[in-house]
Amino acid sequence: MILSIIVIAVSAFLWFRRKRRSALSAAQLAAEGWLPPERQNTDRSFADHEAIALVAALGRGDWQPAAQALEAAGTDWDRRSALVGIIADEAAKDDAWLRAWEAARPGDPGAAVVKAKAKVIVAWEVRGSGWAKDTTAEQAMGFLRVLQEAREDFARAASLAAPGDPTPFVSQIALRKGLSASHEEMRELWAEITARAPHHYEAHSNALSYWYPRWLGSEELALEFAWTAARTAPPGNLMTLLPLQYWYDHLDDDAPEVAYRSVDLTTMVNAALIDVAACRPDHPRLAGARHMLAYLLMRQERHAEAVEQFRLVDGWVGARPWSDYTKSAEFYCHCRDLAIAGARAASGRR
Amino acid sequence: MGTSLRALRALVLLAGFYLIAVLMLGVLVAADVAATLWAPGLAMVKVYFCSVVLAVPVLRGVFVFSTARAKEPDGLPVTEAGQPELWRTVRSLAERTGTRAPDAIVLTGDVNAGVTEDTRLLGLLPGPRRLYLGAPLLTGLTEAQLHAVIAHELAHYGNTDTRLAGIALRGRAGVLRTVETFREREEERIAKERAVQEKAAEEAVRKGRKPKKIDADRAGAGHRLMVKPFLAYAAFYLRATHSTGRQQELAADRLAARVAGRDATASALRETAALDAAHDFYMSRYATAGVDIGLLPPRGEVFGGLHRLLTAPGRQESLAGLRDELPPAEPSPYDTHPPVAVRVELIEALPDDGRTLDGRALDGRTLGDARPSLGFALGSALGLLRDRERVMADLEGAVLTPKARAMTRVDWPELIHRSVHARTEEAAEPLRTALGATGARATGAGALADLSVLLDLADAGRLWEVADHLPKSPEAARAGGRAAREFARPALYAGLRELTELALAESAGARWELSWSGPARLLLPDGTAVDEAVADAVRPAVADVPDTAPLRELVLPLLPDPVLPGPVSDRNPA
Repeated sequence: MILSIIVIAVSAFLWFRRKRRSALSAAQLAAEGWLPPERQNTDRSFADHEAIALVAALGRGDWQPAAQALEAAGTDWDRRSALVGIIADEAAKDDAWLRAWEAARPGDPGAAVVKAKAKVIVAWEVRGSGWAKDTTAEQAMGFLRVLQEAREDFARAASLAAPGDPTPFVSQIALRKGLSASHEEMRELWAEITARAPHHYEAHSNALSYWYPRWLGSEELALEFAWTAARTAPPGNLMTLLPLQYWYDHLDDDAPEVAYRSVDLTTMVNAALIDVAACRPDHPRLAGARHMLAYLLMRQERHAEAVEQFRLVDGWVGARPWSDYTKSAEFYCHCRDLAIAGARAASGRR
Repeated sequence: MGTSLRALRALVLLAGFYLIAVLMLGVLVAADVAATLWAPGLAMVKVYFCSVVLAVPVLRGVFVFSTARAKEPDGLPVTEAGQPELWRTVRSLAERTGTRAPDAIVLTGDVNAGVTEDTRLLGLLPGPRRLYLGAPLLTGLTEAQLHAVIAHELAHYGNTDTRLAGIALRGRAGVLRTVETFREREEERIAKERAVQEKAAEEAVRKGRKPKKIDADRAGAGHRLMVKPFLAYAAFYLRATHSTGRQQELAADRLAARVAGRDATASALRETAALDAAHDFYMSRYATAGVDIGLLPPRGEVFGGLHRLLTAPGRQESLAGLRDELPPAEPSPYDTHPPVAVRVELIEALPDDGRTLDGRALDGRTLGDARPSLGFALGSALGLLRDRERVMADLEGAVLTPKARAMTRVDWPELIHRSVHARTEEAAEPLRTALGATGARATGAGALADLSVLLDLADAGRLWEVADHLPKSPEAARAGGRAAREFARPALYAGLRELTELALAESAGARWELSWSGPARLLLPDGTAVDEAVADAVRPAVADVPDTAPLRELVLPLLPDPVLPGPVSDRNPA
């Protein structure tokens, strides 16, 4: 009895000592410019001031900045669909301003695609994110009803869109997923998208989840899709993130430590680092890629490289993997601090 | 394995059931003896007490098995004098099946046929036989199909091939009944325990404490411990004799096919499966539609009305679908029947016997007994019954509960109108309550007044406030913003639709019209149906940008005294 208490006390003491030694003080971190959890923005993955301003305006019922941002994006289709996603998220909460927008500019292609995309978001909110067996009949029926309505909205958005604009089609992937579209239907949609934008990141990322075994594909189909894109796209399009996305969604939860240092994952991470380095700085998904890389590099104990990525995204943590956790800012800071401490220990040893 | 070997094995297996009981009692007695010899006084009493408590279910197992009788289904016995055609048919079929005819024929109210025999000496000696025939079978099957069904049942009495294997069948039936009795007892026990615990939990909640989790499965653990060997043995027994049971069903099918014709037998199985679904539908949508408000169809129609549904033109397609699409295999390990689909397939694979669907040989020679045709529209086996209407009425007397028998009888159109009216009223209630919760509803206002208030609220953009007071599922309660609206929309749509229909029924004299081919439709006094018009007019009223004009336009001209104001422009939201 007494012996066991002593054992517990000693190990607790050792653990505390180790923790204190490796932990970095808050002041130290702050001095180096790292932000504490409460100052991390959990809505955005980078300092997207245009998006922040337009969301604030939408909160006041002013749709003009949103419309202007879409126009300004021009034929940067990655940017356009990112903006449509941001605006539609707001429209899924309250759509009074959207009706005003449509009334003021009947036939506006931006408003049309936002309306359709927002309906899909509402449908997913009705459904909830549980497995099918945990979804009630009311949720499932509401989900399907709203998705069916969204179908018409997408048809309208596609007819209004500029000929080269893939956005109405990209946004439809989530709809097809929800309606359990056949592989044939999905491939038809995919042809529409790639004809307009062959290396659209959001399209690839969403389509990959359609091919997941838990949705309508299989491990084989998903991996084939991810690797084909990763191998064939020129660097800078972030397609090498797709195999990592699959890995993270299927293997991260139960991965033992050694899995992170496997040759496979190391190769995938290295390829993604090259891709990220070649990417144009204003790509709307670049920051998202850095977040994922920072996490995986930290897990691989490549601390110095992880810190490099953390340095470029600190302050804006609305991205995966952090957003998968309820206390996302805390989890981000925890991982970041581990990487900083690890990098410091490594350089100290040197 | 030969038939007699199989029968012997069944007998041995049956004996095993008793052997288990003897062994278990032996163990308990041994414990008692040991306690008497070696245990101190108090412990000895304890062991005695325990062994007595544990012995009860064991003895009951034996007792239940030897006395277990299938519950006699409620039914109307028909005499040979009263129903000579039916009796003659059964006798003739018994003769051709090679078995003794039953001693009684009992009509029942379900889609089923069965035979029982009050055997004695553990099922080794024969006893009086009873044939149960569901009235819906007589209604829905042709005469040839009914022959097949009866022949199949009679074959169970004593198939010439499997006469000895009958022991196995009887043993099976006994084991099944024992298992059933055990299960019923246990369910009773669990239900009782649950009731006790629920009451305790309620009490705890009232006193503001956290209730204990209800776990009634622990009830009667000792009882289950003792019953377990019996259940395990029963499962073993059933598995061991399963093939026998299945073979006997298939043998009965083959005999039925020989007696009644291959095609008639196969179609009888298909028809029975379809009839089962159709009868359930008929019972819930028609015969008992009005029981909540104390109404039944005229005497004799509760079971006699089924043919109206079966002959309705609008139902033929779905009935044909039911015949083609046989139900999937029953997953229950206790089911003695092979899946219907398998049985039909096997029968249809028999060589062509040259007989048509109505069981007649192609040369025109009738196989059935030459009886005067009583002529029934369907070619239905109901033709075998004399005084059909009286028999159906008497069957209600024998099968319905006293409470049901005391209900008011009204004719079909009245029954359907009043029960749909009552159901619509009930369905519209949540919306009216929600309206009341917003304070906008005059108490005791009619449907029309409520509808008018709701339309004004919709024009003012306040319909979602009302929707917020509708009953919500936990998921709906958690949702906010547009998702909350999507959760509420179906209920709002349905409620508004029902309220509009009620308003038309109350204020414009609309009535729900009975149809045997489909759901009841709401008709205006001039005969036009308004269901679809109501649905189309309600839809825009619950849209994100509400438009009540179509609904007002629909309702206004129909009312004797137009009290609904038109849309007023200054009431629209700014």
